[in-house]
Amino acid sequence: MELWHSHLLREKIDQSSLLVQGNRACALGALDAGVRFFAGYPITPSSEIMEAMAYELPRVGGVFVQMEDEIASICACIGASLSGWLGMTATSGPGFSLMQEAIGYAIMVEAPLVIVDVMREGPSTGRVSAPSQGDVMQARWGTHGDHPAIVLAASNVADMYRLTMAAVRFAQRFRTPVTLLADEVVGHMRESFSPELVGRYRLTSGDFDFTPGYVHPDLAREVHPPHILGSEAHPHVTGCTHDETGFPTNDAKKSERFLHELYDKVTNHRDELCLYDVKNEGKGRVCVVAYGSCARSARAAWRLAELEGLPVEVLHLYTLFPLPIEVIQTVARRVEFMLIPELNLGQYAREVRKLAENWTTVISMGKIDGTLITPREILDQVTRLIGKYESV
Amino acid sequence: MPLDIEQYLHTERLPHMWCAGCGIGIVTGAFLRAMVDLGLKREETVVVGGVGCSSRAAGYVDVGTMHTIHGRALAFATGIKMARPEFTVIVLTGDGDGAAIGGNHLIHACRRNIDLTCILFNNQVYGMTGGQVSPMTGWGDLATTAPYGQVETPFDLCRLAEAAGATFVARGTAANIRPVEEYIKQGIQHPGFAFIEAVVPCPMEYGKRNAPGGVLAMLDDEKARSISKAEAARLTPEELEDKIVTGVLHHKVGRPEFQRSYASIVARAQAEAAEQAETLQSESGGAVS
Repeated sequence: MELWHSHLLREKIDQSSLLVQGNRACALGALDAGVRFFAGYPITPSSEIMEAMAYELPRVGGVFVQMEDEIASICACIGASLSGWLGMTATSGPGFSLMQEAIGYAIMVEAPLVIVDVMREGPSTGRVSAPSQGDVMQARWGTHGDHPAIVLAASNVADMYRLTMAAVRFAQRFRTPVTLLADEVVGHMRESFSPELVGRYRLTSGDFDFTPGYVHPDLAREVHPPHILGSEAHPHVTGCTHDETGFPTNDAKKSERFLHELYDKVTNHRDELCLYDVKNEGKGRVCVVAYGSCARSARAAWRLAELEGLPVEVLHLYTLFPLPIEVIQTVARRVEFMLIPELNLGQYAREVRKLAENWTTVISMGKIDGTLITPREILDQVTRLIGKYESV
Repeated sequence: MPLDIEQYLHTERLPHMWCAGCGIGIVTGAFLRAMVDLGLKREETVVVGGVGCSSRAAGYVDVGTMHTIHGRALAFATGIKMARPEFTVIVLTGDGDGAAIGGNHLIHACRRNIDLTCILFNNQVYGMTGGQVSPMTGWGDLATTAPYGQVETPFDLCRLAEAAGATFVARGTAANIRPVEEYIKQGIQHPGFAFIEAVVPCPMEYGKRNAPGGVLAMLDDEKARSISKAEAARLTPEELEDKIVTGVLHHKVGRPEFQRSYASIVARAQAEAAEQAETLQSESGGAVS
């Protein structure tokens, strides 16, 4: 085990940047954000996260447990979260599928939780080390019933660090599970990185407050006071639809209000939750909307397009859900085409189309062969779109 | 004058949801009396239930309580105990919740020998969903999903728990509840994984198809079939088949307990980290702040 990501030894590595793997950067982000409980089950391509946590957590007085399966892992995390810690787990598609029921439970009992899904290709076992973005809609709708979801997507090693921190912050503030998606290639890539290099992204305000029962003052009216086991209140916690006493209710009005409140506390805060950036803002006829590894290709395509004089902007989304409605619609109003390269058959393109089709033409560019979408492929598509437009 | 057990009971939530004649209340009563005798602190006691008739007992106990998802109560409890070792954590589960959907978590909790107490209410049927066959339903018994009779053999859960590594294992029946109360007390005090199987009658969903004499006959039958570990040792496997072997069946001292073992790992890792930081500081001439 390398020592460089060790919390107490970090000063040494801050002197210069090193090659760091995406999964390791995720673990470092979690440690820096104050995560002290991790339960998981080995699965490629995410295992390096749990290996790093197994080594690091005891060094900082935390707890790591390798459970008997992914279901047990997420349940142990929820148990820890309801005991005043913040639980984190990491997995890939098959494990993420197993976790879905418990994710719904965490939403219902308002347990803060971070789940990292390093995506592999295909359903079932698929291809374990081939990159994919096939779990996007599962991250949104994988658990049953109407529920909110906060889903982030990392595109490089620095993202793995800072978005893990953001996930911790969002989970803690909104008291709900947050899913961080990474394509296999993002989890396994090694890039020049040190936490100081991404210092400008650091989210180290007072937002990481793990005090049991704490609700951030600005959210006090929206986030229910948490039930912390073992507190003076000795509460009852249930996955049944419940009222303010914590006990199940069959009252139609009360249950409707409760479910709406769970939803609203997330969707009312899109401005805070939706992380994104726009390249070449306002100067493109085509906007490439991308996340994860495809966003890297999109950024490279934009640079190539500049050389060729093609008007392209890039909307790089770090938050997939809650949907960045205003962000997408603002861009949609000014461009002729929105091109969405994804390592799936257009899962997110469908969401964008619903939001944008009144103003622009949305083109899905999906790929599921386990290889990346290259900048050249994106550029060729852009050229075709603009050429088509010119010839009309 | 209120009963002693009322300090641990959500009396405002009574009457409870269980059917007339159900044995779950009898064992829940024994659990509450055990809590009184041990003087458990309400703010340091957590009761975790899964899903099913018996798991609902958690909702009547006035300590920190969780009604979780089906089969996973022990996994939640593991997270709670590791995060807050000072808590007394008790899991209430049933034969469907604990031995079918949650069977894997049961054997792994036993294997870890984590300091939890698991009370498994065995009523040999899925009661809440209306009388389906469970892994504890006896050979030939009728259930809505075994309309021609069950042709699978039930577990011997206590032997399973012992083989998997539990260090305190006991079995009792609702028909003879005082010993069960004692097993629960011993289990909670035992510094390791304690497994207590309580055989309870379900006159509605099991009894109406299999025990025409009603709940009193079911209780009499439990008594008649109960034998001690010493008596069991003298019987052949065939003679043992319909017997309920009761008592403290396994009690092992000295096997490492998971949470305490992990705490020693934490102490070692923290010492190592401090040492490395010191070495680093001296190498860099104290320049690192």
